[in-house]
Amino acid sequence: MGKILRRVMMVGGAITPPRIPMDWTWRQMACEVFWNALQEAGIAIKEVDLVACNYNDRAIVDSSPGPQIADALGILPKPVVPIANACAGNGIASYVAWNAIASGRCDVVVSMGFARSDNYDAMEAMNSQGNYVDYDYMMGLTHINYSSMRDAYYRGKYDVPLQAAGEWAYRCNWYARRNPLAANYDKPMPVLEELCADTPEADRDRQATNRGGVASAMIFVGEDIAHKYTDKPVYFDVAYAFRPPYIGNFFNYPVESMRPYDLAEFPGLMSAAQEAYEIAGIGSKDINMVQVHDLTAYEGMMALEAIGLCEIGKAKEYVLSGGMTLDSRCPINTYGGGPAFGHGSAGSDFQAGVLENFWQLQGRCGDRQVQNPKVGVNTSYGTHHSLDVIGVVQKGWQE
Amino acid sequence: MSSEFTDMFVRLDTFSSAYWYRTRAGRYRLEGTRCANCGEKFFPPRSGLICPACHARAMQLYQCAQSGEIICLALDDVGFPAVGYGDAMPRVQAIVRLDDGIHLMVDLMELSDPSEAQIGDRVKMVLRKHRREDTGAWVYGYGFVLER
Repeated sequence: MGKILRRVMMVGGAITPPRIPMDWTWRQMACEVFWNALQEAGIAIKEVDLVACNYNDRAIVDSSPGPQIADALGILPKPVVPIANACAGNGIASYVAWNAIASGRCDVVVSMGFARSDNYDAMEAMNSQGNYVDYDYMMGLTHINYSSMRDAYYRGKYDVPLQAAGEWAYRCNWYARRNPLAANYDKPMPVLEELCADTPEADRDRQATNRGGVASAMIFVGEDIAHKYTDKPVYFDVAYAFRPPYIGNFFNYPVESMRPYDLAEFPGLMSAAQEAYEIAGIGSKDINMVQVHDLTAYEGMMALEAIGLCEIGKAKEYVLSGGMTLDSRCPINTYGGGPAFGHGSAGSDFQAGVLENFWQLQGRCGDRQVQNPKVGVNTSYGTHHSLDVIGVVQKGWQE
Repeated sequence: MSSEFTDMFVRLDTFSSAYWYRTRAGRYRLEGTRCANCGEKFFPPRSGLICPACHARAMQLYQCAQSGEIICLALDDVGFPAVGYGDAMPRVQAIVRLDDGIHLMVDLMELSDPSEAQIGDRVKMVLRKHRREDTGAWVYGYGFVLER
């Protein structure tokens, strides 16, 4: 690792609410969050040095979106780094932003993302995401099939009961009723026993709900200027890692950090967490709250294991013993998670977790507020955990 | 002929005949690659690519094992099933560990009932029709059936 010249701090952010107007284009969505985040932090557009932006490459027709994003945001001739790496691509955008600030090249960088998947038929556009297209997707094995297989394998390997998955979805929904930004905020609360049932309907209810079109933005600045914009800046660090995209290569892959693991673990997230904790100067025992990107309850549990909050195969015990609740040593998914905040893909699957931890550290989360948190971690993935990202935020001010 | 179609026709999906052509050996007969330097075997094939184990660039064609064991099963019955499979639904899918250690995700075929297949069962490769593309062409490729 090279020398880090200065710490990176987060001073603002914004996300679109659920059910945005149907006639908003992706440009309008991007501007909405860019504008709102800058307004809140009191930052003028001319102060922005760089934008890094994730998008769903198959859901917009624009093959070269960089100048179009820069034009829409009004920052021309300053650069935009466009990134298309599925749902967690904003983790890479945030990595770009982090490097630009830590190196001293930029002072103010906006990391953002947008998803307007209904530009085309959503499933036709998205089904290949996360697959090794030459073989598994072309042979009719889809994004959805990957999830089913991974969940079945994890459940079988570690004997994970339906009760744990039902409890996971229930807790996500509980938090979502306390988060106006969640897709399920104003919907009836589900019944725990029904969420734990062994039926296709319950299986569907334990999985992520769709958030539709979504965009979000986060503002990062150098530590030396952060207090110019807010009296509650937050330290931000990020790391990501890859593993091979073909599902068969999740087994016995000939790289030291992956060989011991298979479809039931996330070695990419383990590697990323190790790097992020080192940069942030924390250990897994320091974490006070965790937000994970969980399209199913099982992969949410797998993420808790990969970041070191639970031993491998033991997240079910953490969940069933009340570990997700506000009373635990480390509450999980206070933003509502995939099952209840909703799947925002390139528009928010990474950012939603960072933003929640940011607002939690600042004490702005109302009935779902974690008591006196100091360190928050969030995870996200793309291409079915061929890309795993982790973000770490820490309180950056003295009480 | 082309003068009859003056407007360019753009297909908004991943399928193209060139794509299928390039992958035919792997798809029809499970042809993979092996690193000539360290011996690691790979499927999908890595022709022309770098070995992640030893970082040599010396891949040779390799015929993968044609039989193996089911290590995980799932039904294509949640969410959005792939289109083009007609009455062959719900499809039964499996992770298969081939006898040479390579792992594949595959369709299990010729089952009278999904519960007929169990983890630990022996299976062998077959070449079968999979589905029709939206061009009307049949897609052929590997599948697996139970060894009886």
